[in-house]
Amino acid sequence: MDAHFITRRNFLRYQIAGAIGAASGVGLFLPRRIFADPIPDISVVKGAPGPATRAAVELLGGMKHFVKPGQRVVIKPNMSFSSPPERASNTHPEVVRELVVLCKEAGASSILVLDNTLDNAERCLENSGIRAICNSVIKNIVQTIDDAPLFSEVKIPGGKRMSSTDVMKAVLKSDVLIAAPVAKSHSATGVSLAMKGMMGLVYDRRTMHIRGISTCVVDICSVLKAHLTVIDATRVLSTNGPHGPGKVLKENTVIASRDMVAADAFTVSSFEWYDQHYKPSQVAHIREAHERGLGRMDIQNLNIKKTIL
Amino acid sequence: MSFRRIIQLFSLFLFLFLLFAALSFSSSSWPVDLFLRMDPALTVFTVLSARILLLAFLPVLIVLGATIMMGRVFCSHVCPMGTTLELWEKFNRSTAGKRVSSTNLNFLKYLLLAFLFGSAILGVSWVFWASPLSLITRFYGLFIYPILAFLAERGLLILRPLAEQFNMNSIAFLQIASPRFSTQFFILAFFLALFLLEHYSPRFWCRTLCPSGALLALCSIRPLIGRQVTSACTHCGKCARVCPMEAIELESPITTKHGECIVCRSCEEICPERAVSFPVLWSGKASQPDGFFPDRRRFILAGLAGALTAVSGLTGLASPSGKAGPGKVAPPGLLRPPAALPEMEFLSRCVRCGECMVACPTNTLQPIWFEAGLMSLFSPALTPRRGYCIPDCRQCSLVCPTGAISFLTPKERFWAKTGTAVIYKEKCLAWEHKKGCMVCDEVCPFKAVEFRFEAGNPVPVPEVKEERCTGCGYCEHYCPVQNQSAIVVSPMGAIRLAKGSYLETAKRQGLNFSLRKATTFEFPPAPKGDIPGRAPGFD
Repeated sequence: MDAHFITRRNFLRYQIAGAIGAASGVGLFLPRRIFADPIPDISVVKGAPGPATRAAVELLGGMKHFVKPGQRVVIKPNMSFSSPPERASNTHPEVVRELVVLCKEAGASSILVLDNTLDNAERCLENSGIRAICNSVIKNIVQTIDDAPLFSEVKIPGGKRMSSTDVMKAVLKSDVLIAAPVAKSHSATGVSLAMKGMMGLVYDRRTMHIRGISTCVVDICSVLKAHLTVIDATRVLSTNGPHGPGKVLKENTVIASRDMVAADAFTVSSFEWYDQHYKPSQVAHIREAHERGLGRMDIQNLNIKKTIL
Repeated sequence: MSFRRIIQLFSLFLFLFLLFAALSFSSSSWPVDLFLRMDPALTVFTVLSARILLLAFLPVLIVLGATIMMGRVFCSHVCPMGTTLELWEKFNRSTAGKRVSSTNLNFLKYLLLAFLFGSAILGVSWVFWASPLSLITRFYGLFIYPILAFLAERGLLILRPLAEQFNMNSIAFLQIASPRFSTQFFILAFFLALFLLEHYSPRFWCRTLCPSGALLALCSIRPLIGRQVTSACTHCGKCARVCPMEAIELESPITTKHGECIVCRSCEEICPERAVSFPVLWSGKASQPDGFFPDRRRFILAGLAGALTAVSGLTGLASPSGKAGPGKVAPPGLLRPPAALPEMEFLSRCVRCGECMVACPTNTLQPIWFEAGLMSLFSPALTPRRGYCIPDCRQCSLVCPTGAISFLTPKERFWAKTGTAVIYKEKCLAWEHKKGCMVCDEVCPFKAVEFRFEAGNPVPVPEVKEERCTGCGYCEHYCPVQNQSAIVVSPMGAIRLAKGSYLETAKRQGLNFSLRKATTFEFPPAPKGDIPGRAPGFD
């Protein structure tokens, strides 16, 4: 675990440097915020997938902040396509592994990595590289689920287009939900990030398309609110998403937040999509989630902490 | 347990194991279709109707040779149909007392033989109505297997909570996809009838109807090894009563109708005087076809009837006979498995055993009813709504016993186009309802669905790039529109060759398939719509 130690040390050094910087510079103008709320709304770390993931979570107060000993955790990555990590259709396996390790360190009693794949499940598990890498931490925690009895109905009290949906029972039984999407474009919803990724936990996605995909994504996110969102933007699928292959931007960035809307919004504004910049409000489901109070897309008013490893 | 019983159960077990191998082991080197290739009627009439000689049919020569030597041992020891019927009889013990003699119907199997011969001569294969191996493969593969899978699925519901308690994820999240098949009602009705007949008369099928039995009976009229009775016989008649094939007459237990005898040796076992044995018949005389053989006139009539039904099939509205051209009527959605032979040759070879449907990993291969005419009954068709056709999968061709689906090299298989996707704009969520969707684009393994912008529509709409489309059906399978998909694979442009290269044919037609997952994939330039510079899905 030498690598982790070095990472942590580096990370602490950056944190101290950041604190000094904050105290001497920005701190003069916004002192109250620094002392009252030392934990940022969004953390952004540049670096290799694994260490950047760890650092991004640490900036938010560490995994112990989200996972208490004995709790059950579900991690929802993208692994819906049978393509290798460099294509950026799926979450980078090292990001997923780091999250599993962090949850294990925090004392989670059970960790599951779940998705409902579009491509053949076996091929997705194999080619995404996620199953193999997680098996090296804990065996058999990466599973794909599409069998109806493994889902259970959930009411959506504030739903606009949907009054209920069937969600994986394993998710309903869990205490902590972690969204771990890859940053990618999507031909129907603009981008597919934390919120859109929640579709991977519900049984009937067809209905959502028929009733209006963006509103339905917000509907399901109102009951599937991730406690922690970690967006893998180490590679960004900028065109031809969600399946790809398309233009892959090498951004080496991991973005984390307690607010899945904020994480999504920040990701939208940070990268180019089809060679252009967009505002979060140009993505219908992000805008609607903000309007419905699920989270915030006004990232200019949020406390964002950036680090480079 | 007698030696015969052991061999019988072993054969049945092997048959079921090979069927299981067909559905479980992709790229398997097991001869999964071995039993089908041993079926005399299936092979002989396929040779006749398709006018082919296949090396694959070698096992049937062994069966025929063995029959000439020692009689119908295949029927009593190997045939899974015979074993299944015998097991049913064992299970249902009431048969013994109630036996109804049906000797006078035994000629029927020869008429059936003539019927199949008459149709096969005209190139029409009716073997699927009567070939025992085709029928029993369908019984276990398309009827019993889904039931077992269904029960296993239900069993999992009980097992799962236990597995969850102990954090056994591999069981807690185990999923069994139970297959579904159409036309299983036919199999149910057919076997219900067989079992019912078995209830009143043991081996009724084998004695009275089985055309393979008839062929083997013709081969075993004078076997080298056969039943012989010594002078110790007291004419007690026990052997005649125990013989399941009624090959021994009560009045004269000394003589044997060798054509009917399946060498089960029940007579030898039961004889109190030990007068019955099965030695080499050096001086044996050929037994007559035992009066069961129908007279010539009936035989010819049956052959003519077969020819007549063949003609009625050939002249049906949806008949594929003749050259393609105007006036041809075929179901708009009839998609054959990849690399299926041209339709007429395909139908003359396909024995409807259902092996391809059992082996298909996505359950897209389904037997069809009458929608494509009498000749296509029970033949396999792709059903994209049920499942897509995996672009690099060759399972169906691997298990096909007659080569009705060509087993190609992976490179050739890739170009075996099964059809082309067509978008029904008036059903499409994006085109008609102006809702963001693009699921077809999302799932297409070839990027044969492209999006573009239309004036007046805020969302991108899908468009099929025909030259990139193989007809795999991912789009139709996943399209959220109920019940008929808004994007449907039509057989248009399907490539079906009796000989020659699929790759060359496809390239010559300007086709350009490229899998997205391939490392060499060159994606088409990002589409520019009517509304310039806007990424799809953004406002």
